[in-house]
Amino acid sequence: MSDLLEQLVHGLTLGSLYAMVATGLALMFGVVRLINFAHGEFYMLGGYAFWYAYVELGLPYPVAGLAAVAAMAAFGLAYERAVIRTILARTWHVQLIATLATSITLTNLAIIVFGTQPKEVPTRLSAAILEVGGVRMVWQRVLVLVAAVAIFAALEWFVAHARLGKAMRAMSQNREACAVVGVDVQQVALATFGISAGLAAAAAALVSPLFSIFPDVGALLTLKAFAAVIVGGFGYVRGAIAAAFLIGIAESLAAGYLSYAYKDAIAFVVMVAVLLVRPQGLFGRRIGI
Amino acid sequence: MRATRWVLGSAALVAVPWIAAAVVPGQQRYVLHVLIFTALYGALALSYDLVVGHVGSLSLAHPAFFGLGAYTLALLATEARWPFALALPAGIALAAVVALAVGVPMFRLTEHSFAMGTLGFAIVTQVVATNWVDFTHGPLCVTGIPKPQVGALRIATLPAFYWMGLGALALVALLYRGLTTFRLGRAFHAVRDNETLAAAASIDPLRYRMLAFVIGGGVAGGIGALYVSYVGVLCPGELTVSLSVNLLVMVFLGGVGSLRGVLVGAAAFTALPEILRMAPTWRMVIYGLLLLVIVIRAPDGLEGLMRRASSRRRRPASSGA
Amino acid sequence: MALFETRGLTKRFLGVTAVDAVDLTVEAGELVSLIGPNGSGKTTLFNCVTGYLAPDEGRVTFQGRDVTGVAAHRIARLGIGRTFQLVSVFPRLSALENLLTFLQQHQEESLVGRLVRAPRVRRLEAAAVERARSLLDSVGLGGRAEAPAGTLSYGQRKLLAFAAALMPDPDLLLLDEPAAAVNPTMIEQMKAQIRTLHRQGKTVLLVEHNMDVVMDISQRVIVLDHGQKIAEGAPEVVRRDPKVVEAYFGR
Repeated sequence: MSDLLEQLVHGLTLGSLYAMVATGLALMFGVVRLINFAHGEFYMLGGYAFWYAYVELGLPYPVAGLAAVAAMAAFGLAYERAVIRTILARTWHVQLIATLATSITLTNLAIIVFGTQPKEVPTRLSAAILEVGGVRMVWQRVLVLVAAVAIFAALEWFVAHARLGKAMRAMSQNREACAVVGVDVQQVALATFGISAGLAAAAAALVSPLFSIFPDVGALLTLKAFAAVIVGGFGYVRGAIAAAFLIGIAESLAAGYLSYAYKDAIAFVVMVAVLLVRPQGLFGRRIGI
Repeated sequence: MRATRWVLGSAALVAVPWIAAAVVPGQQRYVLHVLIFTALYGALALSYDLVVGHVGSLSLAHPAFFGLGAYTLALLATEARWPFALALPAGIALAAVVALAVGVPMFRLTEHSFAMGTLGFAIVTQVVATNWVDFTHGPLCVTGIPKPQVGALRIATLPAFYWMGLGALALVALLYRGLTTFRLGRAFHAVRDNETLAAAASIDPLRYRMLAFVIGGGVAGGIGALYVSYVGVLCPGELTVSLSVNLLVMVFLGGVGSLRGVLVGAAAFTALPEILRMAPTWRMVIYGLLLLVIVIRAPDGLEGLMRRASSRRRRPASSGA
Repeated sequence: MALFETRGLTKRFLGVTAVDAVDLTVEAGELVSLIGPNGSGKTTLFNCVTGYLAPDEGRVTFQGRDVTGVAAHRIARLGIGRTFQLVSVFPRLSALENLLTFLQQHQEESLVGRLVRAPRVRRLEAAAVERARSLLDSVGLGGRAEAPAGTLSYGQRKLLAFAAALMPDPDLLLLDEPAAAVNPTMIEQMKAQIRTLHRQGKTVLLVEHNMDVVMDISQRVIVLDHGQKIAEGAPEVVRRDPKVVEAYFGR
């Protein structure tokens, strides 16, 4: 029984990671109708930024984490300006290939700069063990889940109450109307990218003490996050979060009880299974984030 | 006039091994090796362009079909001692059948979901190839794949492999031509350019997307089988997502939807690293940037540039449009 | 037996009933207009009967066959042609090729059959080209046959789409707002074309907002409002129907 609970805990950690990454992807799709194939690289670069701040510069954990988030948010803004703005008006083929090309470039640049050896980023919390009801876990996992929930709550508040957040929701529902009533569409798009990138970096700062960072980590992550977005109903953030947790738990259980080697295939299997039964996603066609 | 050019050109292509021996002695083996890869990649790129360029389905599953054909031949030839003449069609058939099976659920998805679904399938194939060690040997690779032998004909020397590659490329190019012209080509292009209108014109979009997907997948499987027959060894690293990126670069760099463009792209893509001689990682960075710039600035690729250049040359000669 | 008929056709979207139990009949050779204020469900109805949307309830019958929920390409094959509200052509193909694309499926053989019966295929193709050219001439696009459809003006593209829909000689033609977004000269041309079709005995059902056009050429008018059929009859009768007046001006 404790075995199962432990797998569930691991599943919640994975789910938190996938949910944070998938939220960024869902926001980008919801607000500007773009699939960013390079999103996993936001996580990867955020992880390296965090490693650099925490291990190389020796900054305290929270500071290093925030530094990584800030760095990636800035990167996200720059990326929107440099690449995304040009391809927003183009066909989805162009968008997909352009972001895929960016992904390849960033991944290989990371190999050149950081090498292929994974970077370990152990923190106090990733070593300290908590025991609850016969289940052993490291405190970092608790932090991941709590922080993820806090982030999602903050995001909910932001989209419901903050001016920029409300503009993002409005844009995701009806872009033309927004332009007509004077919403600065470009600014909202820019902000969405900054937020998405920041979210990915936050995920990295929280999760890399458990999983380490390496240049290829983004690729599978993009796929799984996208699977969550599809299953959750394209651009519907709450759906993506729920689907991400579903995938995380399924993957963890499969790794524990079926086969560790094939765990990476689980997200895809879940996605295809859902799509065959309900092509519009688990929660149906929703409009807006 | 054109016929003479065709005959001379074909003769020259066939005579390459001797030309190479004469012009670049000592380098002949290397040149032939590069040309064999170019021919195989060219054929693979054409099979991919059929799906992406002519019917407009952005599939990322191609590496999986290439790998399926490769593994089928590799395992049948080494474990079951099947002759090349049976193993090759088996590889093509398996790839085509899997394409059919995968296509049915995939084509229910739209656009992005389709791309991600096919990517997911490719990744799953790679994961299985890497981890099902009992069957595929996993990272230990399938070794000792025999050289092709059909009756008395044995393909073992570099020139022989070159002619095999050239023959395969010619066949695929002919097939490509046949599928993308006249009525069938029109149907494909109708689905690509305006699927809603195509349906109103009695054209079943699903049928044509599946046709291109299955044929493209089958050909990819055949090329995979030929590839491992040449290389002799097969590791799961051959069917990674990088191959999808390489194919996208070849097709978009050369000119999506154009026979000449795709072949030029494949040649440039295969020759470039040899000319540049750089580390594989830097090469991927360059490809990534190249792909990014090309898809944004020159979506017609080299073919588009060539066409614009030749039309500009022709315009001064003609008075009045 | 009516050529075309819907019974209780219903389509709902996210809680809104776009088409509400509509009964509609079109006899062979009729020229019927479907009108109604914006959002009354006309185009949705078109999409439901031409296979682009699956109806939630009801039946669609064509030439005695049940074609409810049949896929778009099969509906077209059965002899129902249509145009689209937002003019739709194949931009990269020439005007001529656009028309040829509409005919090929009706002559399509199996892949092998095509290769083996090459001379027959060539004859069919030649006949198709001739038919296409004459259709283009009849809509006044004969001189632009080789021009890529994307280079034509909006009005010319509308005429092209119209000609293309006629190419497979459909038994029923559904026109979605043929007079929309074009200048008065083009409108007159469209009216003339539709009248010619009617004289030739073709069955036409058109959706239209332009009241002049509707009143001028229709034999019969059907009025939708909020997805429901509220009136039906001769043009002069319908225009004076108080329910219709209220639907258009009452709010």
